[in-house]
Amino acid sequence: MLHSHLREATVHPSEVALECLGFVLGKERYALPLSSVREIMRMPKVTEVPRGPRDVLGIVSVRGEITTIVDLRRRLLMEERPVGPRTRVLLVDHQGEILGLVVDRVLQVYRLHAEEIEPASVLGSEAGPHVTGIGRPGWERGVEVLELSDEGILILLDPFTLLKQYGGR
Amino acid sequence: MAEGRAREEFMAEAQELVDSLRRDLLVLDAAQRQGQADPDALNGLFRGVHTLKGLAGMFSIEVVGRLAHVLEDLLEELRLGRVEMTQDILDLLFEGSDGFAKLLHEVSTGEPAGVDVQAFADVLHSVGKVSVGTDNVLEAYELDRQMLAVLTEYEEHRLRANLEQGKGVFRLYVCLALDTIDSALEDIKERCRGTAEIITYLPSMDSTGKDVIDIEMWLASGTDEAGLRAVLKGVEAKIERVQRRPMPAPAGRVGASVAPTGPTGAVAAPVVPAEQPQEPTSPEGRPAAGVVPVSTNGPSTAVSPPAAGGSQVESSPHRQRTVPSAVRVDIRKLDYLMNIVGELGTLRSQIGRVLEDMRTGSNEHRKLVLDIHRIHRMFHRHLTEVQEGVLDIRMVPLSQLFDKIAVIVRQAARELDKDVQLNVVGAQTEVDKLIAEDLADPLMHIVRNAIDHGVEKPDKRESSGKVRHGTLTVAASHKGNHVVIEVSDDGAGVRLEAVRETAVRKGVLSPQAAVDLTRHELMQVIFMPGFSTAAKVTDLSGRGVGMDVVKTNITRLGGSVDVESVEGEGTRFIITLPITLAIVNALLFEIKGRLFSIPLSSVQEALIVDPGSLQTVESREVLTLRGETLPLCRLAVLFMLEQPAQPLHSAFVIVVVVGQRRIGLVVDRLAGQQDIVIKSLGKSLSQVPGISGATDLGDGRLVLVVDAAAILDEVLSLRRAQLRGGAVC
Repeated sequence: MLHSHLREATVHPSEVALECLGFVLGKERYALPLSSVREIMRMPKVTEVPRGPRDVLGIVSVRGEITTIVDLRRRLLMEERPVGPRTRVLLVDHQGEILGLVVDRVLQVYRLHAEEIEPASVLGSEAGPHVTGIGRPGWERGVEVLELSDEGILILLDPFTLLKQYGGR
Repeated sequence: MAEGRAREEFMAEAQELVDSLRRDLLVLDAAQRQGQADPDALNGLFRGVHTLKGLAGMFSIEVVGRLAHVLEDLLEELRLGRVEMTQDILDLLFEGSDGFAKLLHEVSTGEPAGVDVQAFADVLHSVGKVSVGTDNVLEAYELDRQMLAVLTEYEEHRLRANLEQGKGVFRLYVCLALDTIDSALEDIKERCRGTAEIITYLPSMDSTGKDVIDIEMWLASGTDEAGLRAVLKGVEAKIERVQRRPMPAPAGRVGASVAPTGPTGAVAAPVVPAEQPQEPTSPEGRPAAGVVPVSTNGPSTAVSPPAAGGSQVESSPHRQRTVPSAVRVDIRKLDYLMNIVGELGTLRSQIGRVLEDMRTGSNEHRKLVLDIHRIHRMFHRHLTEVQEGVLDIRMVPLSQLFDKIAVIVRQAARELDKDVQLNVVGAQTEVDKLIAEDLADPLMHIVRNAIDHGVEKPDKRESSGKVRHGTLTVAASHKGNHVVIEVSDDGAGVRLEAVRETAVRKGVLSPQAAVDLTRHELMQVIFMPGFSTAAKVTDLSGRGVGMDVVKTNITRLGGSVDVESVEGEGTRFIITLPITLAIVNALLFEIKGRLFSIPLSSVQEALIVDPGSLQTVESREVLTLRGETLPLCRLAVLFMLEQPAQPLHSAFVIVVVVGQRRIGLVVDRLAGQQDIVIKSLGKSLSQVPGISGATDLGDGRLVLVVDAAAILDEVLSLRRAQLRGGAVC
C-alpha cells in the first residue's frame, strides 16, 4: 500500500508521452503512434500488382478507395508467413495516402510515459532508421494484459521513415 | 477555414472574369483587324476589369486590384475614343489579362508570379497620355445642338465613331407607358443588337398623355429606315433618318475637340447626302488627319499585316464558363436527375409491395417473378439514366480551351513575326471537365510548337509558292467513345532526315535503330525524352518542356498522340482522348488465373490463335493477321507471372491499337465485357509500368486495368530503339 503510494507520488508529474498501438510480427512486438493508425481491419482478398514494389502484396478496395497493402514482414526483412486468423491490416496515413500494413496480430493501445521510453541509440547501429526507440510499458498502470505477456519490450516505429519508399516526399 | 473558403470564392469568380476578358479581347482583336470597333466588347472588357477591381478590393488582394486599376484607366480612354485601338494596344491588353491569370495563380498557389504591376502601369500610362485627335463630323448632320450638348463624352464618342464609319443616324420616337418603361426599353435594345447601336435616349418634357412618356432615341446603323423598321416590327415608333446638312458647317465644334482642322476626305465631300455607304475605313487606309499613332515602334499598322494571327473563333455564348475545380450546373440538368431519383423511389415502393405479396403469399409465384423482372428492368434503365446524367454534368465544351489557344496563336504569331490564321472546328465538342483541364498544357505546347517550327515567315512562304499567311487548324470531333483533336498546320513539315540525325547525335537512337525505323516510327521519335529538333531554344517552344512531356500528359489522360508530316506541306498532330475518365467499357481477360481488364476503346479485336501459326522475327513472336505482321507480347511474361515463356497450347490474342500502332497481347482466356469505373492506384504504386488503375467489379474483387498505350510504348518502338531490337518478350 505504502509502496504504491510512493510510486504514484514519483510518477504523477510525468504526462503520457506517447500513445501507441502495439502489434506482433514474428517473435517481436512493435508499436506505431496511435495518431497514425486510422483503422484496423481483417485481411481482405488482395489483388496482386505485377511489377509492383517487392514489399507490396497488392491492392484492396476500402470503401471504394484503392488501398495499397504492404507486407510489414517483407518490409522488415522477416521470413514470410501465411495469413492466419489473427492477421490484421492497419490502415496508416502516409503523406496523404492510406496504406494498409499487414501484421500478425494486434495487441492493444499503450500509453507510454517518458520514463518508459528508451531512445533508439541504446540499440546502437543495429536499429534501422525507422526505429525511434524502445518502449517498456507496464507496471501497475492499469494496463490490461492480453494473451501475450506484456512484460516484453515494444519496438517503436516511425511511420514516415518506415513507409518513405512508398511515395513519400 | 473561413478564409480558405472566401479565397476559393474569390478564385472561382475572378477566374471567370479573366476568362471573359480573354474572350472579349479576342472579339476586339478580330474587329480591329477588319478596321472596326466593337463597343460592346470594349464595354464588356471595361465592366469585367471594373468588377475584378471591386472583387480584389473586397478580398483585399491588393496586387490584382492595382493591375485592374491601371487597365481600367486605359480602357476608359479607349471607350471614350481618346486613345485609338491598335494591335499594340491590344498586345498590352492581352498582356494585362495574362497578368491577371498569373496573379491568380500566385494567389492560389503562393508561387510568385513575377508580375511587375508598376512597370506595366508605367507603360500603360505613357500610352494612355497620347490621345487621338477628333475631326468633327457631327456638324455635318442635322442634329439638335441642344441635344448634342447634353450627350455624355462616351455617347458623343460613339456617335462620332459611327458616323466616321459611314453609318447613318436615325431618330426614333416612341411613346412608352411609365410602368413598363424599363422592359420596353430593354426590348428595343435587344432588337437593335447587331443592327443598330443606341447612342442615347432622352425623355421629352411635353408628354402627350398621362402615365406615358415620349422618348426620343438616337440610333446609329448601317442599314436604312426600312431595315430598322423590320427589326423594330411591332414596336410603335416613328423612325426618321437624320439628314446631312446641305453645306458642311465651317466651325463651331461640339465638345472639347483639340484636333487640327485637317479635313478627312470621306466626310468633307458630301456628294450624296442621305445614302452614302462608305466602306468602313481600315486603320491603314484611314486618313491620318490628326491621328497620332500610339505605337512605340512606328505606325501601328506596319507591325501587323492585315490578317496576322487573325482568328475565326466560333462565337461562344458567354454562358459557358467554368471554374478550375468547381462545375457550374444548369439547374435543368439537376432537375432531370432529381426526377430520375424520384422514379427510383417509386421502384423502391414497388419492391416493397412485391415483398409484401411474397410474405402474405397473396400472389402466385409466376406473377411475383414477372413483377421483379419488370422492376429489375426499370431499375437498370433509370440507373443508366442517372449515370448518363451525372456524366453529362461533368462534360464541358472545348470552346473555353480553344479560346486560350486563340490567344496563344495571336501572341506567338506576333512575337515571331509570322502571319497565322487560326481555324477552329468543333469547339462545341464536349469532354470530361478533368480531361479538358489537363489537356490545356499539352495542346498549347503543340500549338506553340506548330507556329514556332512549323509555319514559315510570310516571305519564305511566298518564295515556296504558298500564300503568305499560314493556316493552323484545330479541329475537334467525337469518334465513338473518343474525342479526336487534330492540330494541323500548312507549314514546313518535319524533315525526317533531320530527325534521324538529331536522334542519333543526342543518343536517343542507336545508329542502327535510326536506319531500321519505319517512316512512321521515326516521326514518333520526336516524342522521346531528350529529343528536340529546334536548332536553338526559343522563348516560345523551348520552355524546358519537350514533346515527351506532351505525350506523357496525354497518355496520363488515357489518350494517345500521333504525328504525321509531309516535308514542305505541313504537320498534323492527332490527339485521341476518351470522352470521360469516369466509366469505360472494358474487356476482361485472364493470365495465370488472375483477372485483368483493358479499355475496349483501345482494343481492335480478340482472336483465338493456334500456337502453330505463330512465327518469330528476330526472336520476337509475331502473327500474320490479314496479311500484316502483328507483333505479339506475352503479357504473362511482361508482367513477370511466368518466366521464362512456356510453349503455348492455345491462346487468345487481344489486338490493341493506339494511334496507328498495333500489338497483340497474348492472354490465357477472355472473360467478357463490362462497364467499369477506373480508379487510380495510390502514389505508392504510381511507378508500376503498364497499369493505369483498378476497378471494383462489384463483388469486392479488384481487377487491374491494363494501360494499353503504356504497354505499346514499352514493347514497341521505345524498347526497340533502346534495346536495339533484342528479344522483348
